[in-house]
Amino acid sequence: MAYRAIVVDDDPNMLDNIVNTLKRSADFEVASSYGHASAAINPAAMFHPDLFLLNVEDEETLNMVSDFVDKFPGAYILGTMNQWDPIIARKTSEGGATGCILKPLTARDILEYIQLYSIRGEHKPAKLISFFSPKGRAGRTTLAAILALLIAEKTGERVALIDADLQFGDLPIFFDLEPKRTVVEATQDIKLLTPVSFAPYFYPIKDGVELLSSPDRPEYAELVAPESLTEVVMMAGNIFRYVLIDLPSGFNPITLNVCRVSNLVFVTTMINSGFEIKHAKKAMEMFDSQADGRRKVHAVFTRVNPFTEENRQKISDQLGYPVDDMIPNEYKMISVANSGRLAKGLPMDTLLMKTISGMADKIIASAS
Amino acid sequence: MAVATPHSIERSSVIISVFSTTPGIGKTITAINLSAGLAHEGYKVCLCDLDLQFGDVLNYLKLSSTKTVAGAQRELLDHPEKFRVRDFLIDYEHEGLTFSILPAPLYVFDAYQTDVELVTDIVTRLNFYDFVILDLNSMFSALNLAMLDISAVINYIGVIDFLPALKNYKIGYDTLIRFEYEESKIRLIENRADSQKLIDGRDVEKLLGEPFYHRLPNDYPSVNKSINSGQPLMFAAPDSKLTKSFDELVGLYTNRQPTIAPEEATGGGFLSKVKGWFGF
Repeated sequence: MAYRAIVVDDDPNMLDNIVNTLKRSADFEVASSYGHASAAINPAAMFHPDLFLLNVEDEETLNMVSDFVDKFPGAYILGTMNQWDPIIARKTSEGGATGCILKPLTARDILEYIQLYSIRGEHKPAKLISFFSPKGRAGRTTLAAILALLIAEKTGERVALIDADLQFGDLPIFFDLEPKRTVVEATQDIKLLTPVSFAPYFYPIKDGVELLSSPDRPEYAELVAPESLTEVVMMAGNIFRYVLIDLPSGFNPITLNVCRVSNLVFVTTMINSGFEIKHAKKAMEMFDSQADGRRKVHAVFTRVNPFTEENRQKISDQLGYPVDDMIPNEYKMISVANSGRLAKGLPMDTLLMKTISGMADKIIASAS
Repeated sequence: MAVATPHSIERSSVIISVFSTTPGIGKTITAINLSAGLAHEGYKVCLCDLDLQFGDVLNYLKLSSTKTVAGAQRELLDHPEKFRVRDFLIDYEHEGLTFSILPAPLYVFDAYQTDVELVTDIVTRLNFYDFVILDLNSMFSALNLAMLDISAVINYIGVIDFLPALKNYKIGYDTLIRFEYEESKIRLIENRADSQKLIDGRDVEKLLGEPFYHRLPNDYPSVNKSINSGQPLMFAAPDSKLTKSFDELVGLYTNRQPTIAPEEATGGGFLSKVKGWFGF
């Protein structure tokens, strides 16, 4: 069955170009084409279209994306643009579109994008989640990895793990991987990449979960421009419904930039000497001072002992912020992570896994 | 990257940095007890908390101070002619033992504003001390590299109880060598060396191709006592094995004792598993 397409573009040459491209392909038939979204939205219903190509670089069209989504819930709605613009891509996604595609396009491009966006999951904006810790050794990486696996399993949607702990990233070792392409190459290439060409930079770990690895030498961290890393994170949001980013410890241009574009930041802390709560408080205050109202910052404490509500209150009083999540200790976890078997079997029957599973449920609920 | 700064020519104190590539493995405990031990031997010692954002030196000694390296930096910028580094130090004192401390900034924001050249300048002005101990954080940052450059000795500490920790220790060591720090300057210190664990220290030595300079035993109760009382181990747990081990380490740095010959490395099961992982 060929896709019945409606094309909207205010550039008449481009409109002709796309229409002719589709006409030459057996996979598509052009139902109709319009110069403006406002002219298209009502008559389009007459053709029972199942594919829209809307020029979202035109502001009026971009603003009407959600109207098309409401009116044609079963159709693929692709935003077209001449140059990849992460902000426009996000707005298109917020409107509920299937995703964005670069012009000029071929029939094969459209099929590839439809395929990519179909396995991504629901047609909703990506949830970008950063894992921050003040000093490190907080269980941050383990938590990010387990959440990625659980979210993918529970939703069937695609989840990305980005190892942005550039000097000493541990995710490749957790999953026993030695990737050739890393976040360094991704940030260097990002200006030229599209969702389809970026996807192969990720390595499959398990059904629905893929990893963008950290480099294998600490000095390569210097090659990563913080602004390019935020573009990488945002681009990943077009391929994956959830993007989990493991950050280096402390505040630096990398952590600040990635947290700036994240929807959710977990400030992860493990209590050892007790002074870690003091550090977490400093970190929470730092995030507070830059609050933009869009981003949520949650305090997470790992290996909490005793694992009681009284203790939660005690930590919270010292922290000056609510303890959003607390996670119990589980010694089995150390040996699982140690042996690169994280993707193969999590100790599901433990309190630790039940607690993290609850966290995953909360994240999923907030993303829908 | 390892370029000696012009300051290193003038200095008369011995700068010892305490560095690791994994956080939370005992850098601050080591820095404090090294300082206390050297002070106990009669040396003038200054301990600098250069874990600027989340330093723990004052926490572990139950001290507080509004004098910090951030204040020192501000003064050095605004009034270079009347800058005196002493004005930004505080003293730890107990039972006649004393050493100075250059505290970390109070606020993350101040820590974020620190300038590598100014901090280097401040540290090199501590040259009226016999020993300057630098407590660093676990990254190859511009500041840490500048500090490693001016250090006479790099205490490179690791706790090898976890595969990622081993990977980071090895990668960190290889990086230090690639950055052309002399091998003789890098002192490999294994912390919690005798704890029950999967990875044997001797296998690590084979992997690194270098013996440990010193091994610190696992002694959680003594460390706990020390942190809870806010006193170095020599006061909090005078008879513990860890206190004794730190005393030996101090002895190594002051030439009090002859160097202990490294243990003969033996083959181990774990090494064969990680060999492939590191590509040899």
